[in-house]
Amino acid sequence: MSMPSVEVTKTRDLLTKTSEKPKSKSFNKFKQVYLGPIIAFTIFIAIWQAVPTILDLKHYILPKPTDVVGAAISDWHLLWPAVQITVVESLVGFLVSAVIGILVSIILASSKILERSIYPYAIVLQTIPVVAVAPIVVIWFGAGYNSIVVISFLIGFFPVISNTLMGLNSVDKNMDDLFLLYNASKWQRMWKLRIPSALPYMMAGLKISCTLSIVGAIVGEYIAGIGGGKGGLGYSITVAAIQVKTSYLFACGIAAAILGIGFYLLVSLFANSMLKSWHESAVKGEK
Amino acid sequence: MDTIHKEVVAFQHVSKVFNNETVALKDFDLSIKEGEFLSFLGPSGCGKSTALRMVAGLGEATKGSVKVFDGSPKEIIKETNDLAFVFQDANLLPWRTVLDNVLLPLELRGGNKKKHKQEAIRVLEMVGLKEYLKSYPRQLSGGMKMRVSIARALAAKPKMLLMDEPFGALDEITRQTLQMELLDIWQKENMTILFVTHNVYEAVFLSTRIAVMSASPGRLSSLIDVKLPFPRRLKVRTEQEFTDYVDIASDRLENGNERKELA
Repeated sequence: MSMPSVEVTKTRDLLTKTSEKPKSKSFNKFKQVYLGPIIAFTIFIAIWQAVPTILDLKHYILPKPTDVVGAAISDWHLLWPAVQITVVESLVGFLVSAVIGILVSIILASSKILERSIYPYAIVLQTIPVVAVAPIVVIWFGAGYNSIVVISFLIGFFPVISNTLMGLNSVDKNMDDLFLLYNASKWQRMWKLRIPSALPYMMAGLKISCTLSIVGAIVGEYIAGIGGGKGGLGYSITVAAIQVKTSYLFACGIAAAILGIGFYLLVSLFANSMLKSWHESAVKGEK
Repeated sequence: MDTIHKEVVAFQHVSKVFNNETVALKDFDLSIKEGEFLSFLGPSGCGKSTALRMVAGLGEATKGSVKVFDGSPKEIIKETNDLAFVFQDANLLPWRTVLDNVLLPLELRGGNKKKHKQEAIRVLEMVGLKEYLKSYPRQLSGGMKMRVSIARALAAKPKMLLMDEPFGALDEITRQTLQMELLDIWQKENMTILFVTHNVYEAVFLSTRIAVMSASPGRLSSLIDVKLPFPRRLKVRTEQEFTDYVDIASDRLENGNERKELA
């Protein structure tokens, strides 16, 4: 009787020796960071599943999570291409707004006169709800892809320009003096001082802009239609709404949300790699 | 130091009034000779930083003139590498490594990159940071950052170093080490140094001459020649002669500012 129990304690010892420390540490982290959200999510899904059953709601009023997943799986052949189309549209819209936003900011910031005369109008333009001008965009660029990208660009553009401009104009006074003392030219100051100083602001602008560009693409699809091609998420949503395919509507909404989160994480990753060596926002995790 | 040194900085009846009508400097006259280590000592608001910045061309006199190496500060900055400025905070570019920060002044002037790198490494060696070429400013302590800042100032081989309370934010131990290192560099590189401080001990320890200033309006209240021998080591601080100079400087500082209150 005594032999096996000794062996058991031995193996237990071995187990605790080799694995307890790192395991308990990572488990602690898991407990602190992930456990709460996971429990909250599970409860939320459970309530969602229970409410339509208890109140006897029709699936076209409030579909259960299982209905939504079912709809996503059965209509996957529609959902997946729609997601792909929206990804391309919002990605192009985002890239265009990033490039043009940064370029315009640099041009405006390089001349005080230019900035003073043009920036107020940029703010006025920003206050125009893009949805209100979207039909004009459709008239100019035709139904479909081009208009959708333009609308996505229009929505994503302003956060980039306003953040970048703020960054370019908030250079530390002493650093400015330093460049003055070394007789730096205007463009040396721009490239070696102002643009690097503005990077954190620029990245903040891009983070806002990337999620907005998805909003832009979906709104664009509502308004500009599909122009003969296949439709993206926005188009799927309008069609599903007309057909009262509520479960599929939910699936589209969730797909759009996942898209937004993924896009945001990607841009954050890019921002962190740009700033990793020096900026507080990117080095926090290190300490 | 027995040769006759030429004048390198001349303040002539300099007054500076800022927009909001505060008189930062009033009728300031001072001649600084080549090779001096001159400290501007005074309370805050006495215009000592204003005077220093004028020498660097950062701000112009409202009245009177400032001459540096027989030219206007702005010309000197434009045409030569003779002036370098060290700010109160190290003022390093956080996105550049230590080496790239030191390279900055050379890079802005243009020229041979390989030579620049050799020069940058030489000055970093001088301040004892050769091991940290690839570090970023955020990885360094306050004292090390200030060393990088000094190295950057030295990189372009200036004839004159202007320092605006460079050690003000450092702890006492680091400050004393850097003070000694600065004196070594000053002697090795044969420079003129203008140094702004509000610390009497620092002024006496470092300077060959102290310009004591008083506030509102900022003006020169007296000049003290500090005849302590070089090289000055930590021990100097406990000697009677050092203490005497500290007494004199403190007295003049107090009197200069009392006079203002009476007036």
